[in-house]
Amino acid sequence: MLEARLQQADVMKKVVDAIKDLVQDCNFDCNDSGIALQAMDNSHVALVSMMLRSESFSPFRCDRNIALGINLGSLTKVLRAAAKDDQLTIKAEDVPDVVNLVFESGEQDRISEYDIKLMDIDQEHLGIPETEYAATIQMPVAEFQRICRDLSALSESVTIECTKEGVKFSSQGDIGSGSVQLRATSNIEKAENSVEIDLTEPVALTFSLKYLVNFCKASGLSDRVSLHLSSEVPLLVEYPMQNNSYLRFYLAPKIGDEE
Amino acid sequence: MARTRSKPAPAAATAEELESTTEVPTATAKSVPPPDKNRPKLFLLPKDTSEDSRIVTLDNPATGAPSRYYFCPEKGFYEFTRIAAPKKDCRSWLITSEESLASKESGNGLTTDSENVELGTGYVVQAANLFIATPIDLLFLILPVLAPKNMKETEQHFLELFDHLEALSTASRQWKALFTQYPSLKAMIEKKMVAICDTVSVGDDTMYRISQEKLLALLLKKAERVCKNGLPPSLENKFIKTALEVPIMNIKREESSLTVVSENPDSQLSTTATAIDSQSSTETVSTAATSVIHEEVIKEEFISTPSLVTPPEIPRLLRLRTALRYLASSYLPSTLRTSIQTLLQSSNLIDFTPLDTHLAAVAKLRSEAAALRSISDNISRKRGLEEDDEKIAEREEKKRKKEEEEKKKKTESRGIKQLKKADTSGMKKMSSFFTKLPKKT
Repeated sequence: MLEARLQQADVMKKVVDAIKDLVQDCNFDCNDSGIALQAMDNSHVALVSMMLRSESFSPFRCDRNIALGINLGSLTKVLRAAAKDDQLTIKAEDVPDVVNLVFESGEQDRISEYDIKLMDIDQEHLGIPETEYAATIQMPVAEFQRICRDLSALSESVTIECTKEGVKFSSQGDIGSGSVQLRATSNIEKAENSVEIDLTEPVALTFSLKYLVNFCKASGLSDRVSLHLSSEVPLLVEYPMQNNSYLRFYLAPKIGDEE
Repeated sequence: MARTRSKPAPAAATAEELESTTEVPTATAKSVPPPDKNRPKLFLLPKDTSEDSRIVTLDNPATGAPSRYYFCPEKGFYEFTRIAAPKKDCRSWLITSEESLASKESGNGLTTDSENVELGTGYVVQAANLFIATPIDLLFLILPVLAPKNMKETEQHFLELFDHLEALSTASRQWKALFTQYPSLKAMIEKKMVAICDTVSVGDDTMYRISQEKLLALLLKKAERVCKNGLPPSLENKFIKTALEVPIMNIKREESSLTVVSENPDSQLSTTATAIDSQSSTETVSTAATSVIHEEVIKEEFISTPSLVTPPEIPRLLRLRTALRYLASSYLPSTLRTSIQTLLQSSNLIDFTPLDTHLAAVAKLRSEAAALRSISDNISRKRGLEEDDEKIAEREEKKRKKEEEEKKKKTESRGIKQLKKADTSGMKKMSSFFTKLPKKT
């Protein structure tokens, strides 16, 4: 059986909120290392990969590998019933029909309990190798979100160009063009506001802004976001969480089809 | 047919006289002889033909395929029609010589002897085919040479008789042999040529060019002759009676038993005589059945007049046209066939328009009857057809799937709907970057 308690239900809420606009139904794969999730969007050009390590839970118990097929819309509805600071306990049998969610508020001794019916989801699982990326950019989540939002007003796609000088996001659309250039800065006083660029090779790739804006919904999960780019491979947008947990988005670059 | 019999049929069982072609050996051994490659064939040949008569291979005027013709230098050409028993009927000919018959009838030999003779000279032909030679107009045989080689060639040159004969000779070796052997043939051909060709005299020579008008007139005359004594019953049934049958509109159920036969394509005409005959027997049965039904109908419903009356001149016209089509399809080269048909439409020799309008009216009535019938069929089908469970299950499954899909669509979050609009051109699928993992259990 599975029993996993999160100190803050909010984490789960944010994760599900970030994913639910990309995929509808997905399997939460539970094993002794934690709860993992991998799913692709309808057109299979983007992939979301989540890992909530067992260390993030206390206690965490998972006797057998269980796949919990959940409709994210339903999960969102149930999670809405949880207050921000509630403790969340996820429980399931070894061969479950339902997943049981218990919200406990520490102050008022209020316990609410919900069951969500599970579904059989036939998903293919992709093996994602560890990749050395040509460029890694770390920046505040708010900055990335703003860039994506601003440029999406102009165009459907953005070209991310990473050079020694910095990283340049540029878009060309019907009404005109725009670009945002960031230089690598090291703000010692406010480390979370700095932009770090780790470059082994200059790289320039074009991506769909609609998808990037969608990824930005995970902004509440962490302060920093890292973009990993290499030519000809998907962009990795990673939102790190505590205890090495993470939420990662992969997005295929636009190749050849110049607009 | 009787005039083509070479001799009056003897009273005995062997009614037909055997005229085997010269290359056919007569089996005499008492033991069962091995199957012969050149099996004897049974022919009915015209009587009083000259001794020089022979069988020649010439191109069939309609199909161009080499066919056998019987040629008598005095009487002209004869074509063969094969009359065969239906394939599933196992029939054979037993052929005995006249001598054995004579000896048996006279009774002056020992019975054992006569039996011996009978057995010894008798021969069984496995296939019960009978080939009947009937006269064919020489005209048709020379037509392929006179006709334009293809449709486009409208302008034809006048040519001397010699040139036409030369063309025949080059077309087939047999013609050449015939010309050298029988000089009278040339005169016969010339006579025919005059009948269907425009001629121009240049000095002493006469030049010939085929005239389609003349040919049509000739064909028409032949067709009229065919019709004069009435068409053969099989043709009459198939092409005249059924074509002119007017459906009775007020009764739907009885209507369904009528055999609706449209104007048959010409090709069916060229089937062998037996085929038509066998069809005709079934035809008569069916028409008899329908007429019985009609009588009943009339008794029950007191309907005495059909909705369309056949004018008196229509059957004659239809017969004439059927005969013409038969002639055209079986004796005219394909290049001439269409042009003759179109010429027939425009020619003032005979007017088929009343026939066409009448047939169109009949066809219209028939289609109306068919429509009525299909309506009534539909009703009964709806009532009769019980939905089988499988179909119901299938439909429910489909419905369920559709509902599920709709539900899914409704529960789709706004973000997902937005992403559907995203332009993913030029973006490869994730599976092209990352390898698929085997499924976890």
